[in-house]
Amino acid sequence: MHKIMSDRKTVFLLMAPGMVLFAIMIVVPIVISFYYSLTNWDGVGEYSFVGFKNYADIFDSDSIFGLSLRNSLLLGLGLVLIQHPFAILIAMLVQYCGRWEKLLRVCIFIPSIISTFVTTKLWVSIFDTTFGLLNRVLTIIGKSDWSQDWLGSPGYAIGCVILVLMWQGFGYAFILYYAGIKGVPKDLQEAAMLDGASQIQFNFRIVLPLLTPVLRINMVLAVVSAFKQMETVYLLTNGGPANSTQFMSTYLYSKAFRESMYGYGNAISILLVAICLIVTVIMNRAMKREVGEY
Amino acid sequence: MQAMAKGYIRWTFVVFMIILVLLELFPLLWLFDFSLLKSGDFYGSQILKWPNPPKWKNYIDAYHNAHIPKLFMNSIIVSAVSIFAIIGCSVAMGYAVVRMEWRFRKVAFTLLMAGMIIPIYSTLLPTFSLFNEVGLLNSYAALILPYAAFQIPISMYIITAFLETIPRALEEAAVMDGASVPGLIFRIILPVLKPAIATIAVLAFLSCWNEFIMAVTYIDTDRLRTLPFAVVYFMGQYSSNYGAQFAVLAMISIPSIVMYLLFTDQINRGITAGAVKG
Repeated sequence: MHKIMSDRKTVFLLMAPGMVLFAIMIVVPIVISFYYSLTNWDGVGEYSFVGFKNYADIFDSDSIFGLSLRNSLLLGLGLVLIQHPFAILIAMLVQYCGRWEKLLRVCIFIPSIISTFVTTKLWVSIFDTTFGLLNRVLTIIGKSDWSQDWLGSPGYAIGCVILVLMWQGFGYAFILYYAGIKGVPKDLQEAAMLDGASQIQFNFRIVLPLLTPVLRINMVLAVVSAFKQMETVYLLTNGGPANSTQFMSTYLYSKAFRESMYGYGNAISILLVAICLIVTVIMNRAMKREVGEY
Repeated sequence: MQAMAKGYIRWTFVVFMIILVLLELFPLLWLFDFSLLKSGDFYGSQILKWPNPPKWKNYIDAYHNAHIPKLFMNSIIVSAVSIFAIIGCSVAMGYAVVRMEWRFRKVAFTLLMAGMIIPIYSTLLPTFSLFNEVGLLNSYAALILPYAAFQIPISMYIITAFLETIPRALEEAAVMDGASVPGLIFRIILPVLKPAIATIAVLAFLSCWNEFIMAVTYIDTDRLRTLPFAVVYFMGQYSSNYGAQFAVLAMISIPSIVMYLLFTDQINRGITAGAVKG
């Protein structure tokens, strides 16, 4: 047994295809990206090395990069402070729905599995100024002066983007907490009821603390996903109007493909990878300490 | 008195849940409703309109004019090949990582897990120049390679988590009978792994089927485009035919919805398994 299981040739054959794919599609591109991030390449012509000038420019004078970080943080806050508490509450409530439980679960999750492309186009139509649902509803309830060019004004656009992202990811957040709550042993509930606890007390004093590990992971995932965000923003506003909804990935895309600052775009890519790794590590550390108290 | 109070709470609860479901599903109801309307019906004050009569022609128009069959085929080819690559690589790697003994096992595993954190679009630019260099732009491979690569870490993780729960006794017995590792994988591991494989396959399907950014960046010939592009196609040509545009959107989402309804449990399991690790 041992001899077969430590045969190097077999290990190599099993690992090689996946590792090669991983290397050429993830590791190598990041290395290439780092290489170009040190140049002033425009994507087609000649280029020369400029050292860390792109990075220096990003940190010194690029206010849009700062804005994209701010937007990621806003989105992260929205997810952590609004979406997740709401998801936990709903996951708790769904337990009491008896035979409707399964149907509710499906309904809540369906928006998450539909193509981002479809749901985003749908929201673009909802926010549309002429036949959009939102302005129509405002007219019906007699608040037509609240109507807006929702995605066209810098002040509202970022709010709309965050709203759509909270809506879209809600199913995922919900399912994670739902599974966590399902994992709470049934006899705990019986014991709590025998001791005279109400359902509310049971959920907040017993279930919620037990959810802490799930909560910890989900917070990390949520914040990292806020930095990774691209598709929805790209399709909703493409960073506009006036760069007000720019996120790192949409920003690197428009730098490289629209402004032909390919080297600069790659520097943003590298920062995106670095920030995601750093945020994950920091959040994991911070969350661990917090949980240690239990 | 108390019974009445309980009744109120119950009703509030029911109403709250119904509102929640409507918030989640309303945009979709709206989508399917409007996909059956005449374009003239779009400008009105009602929120939903009973399509009278339902204009199924929107779907027929969309089907023919948006080149749905061709785009559908492209999407299926790209998704199917990616899924096979993902399953093959993840099962092989998962087995090597969980069951076999070798020096860089931990290192390889950690590296792959770090791959889960790498944002998929951070490699958009370098991969573009890489494909440009080797002439892979405008090919199925330009989508299959990155789709598979980025889905491998999470899929392999799901496989390893599942493999760890399976006792080794069966494999040990088979080795006594003279089986080799490939034999073990094909005859013993694959059948046992079926639920985990279903999970990674469905998750992979959803991510490949719905991906959009790479599909527009790496592909610019009509011949190879995938499904989400149907709407872009269409909006250019039939910008005033809103009904048909909504019909295209509806048609793209139907496969995903069907997949979800068929594989609800596998999908839920996959999502929660992935989150345990983060």
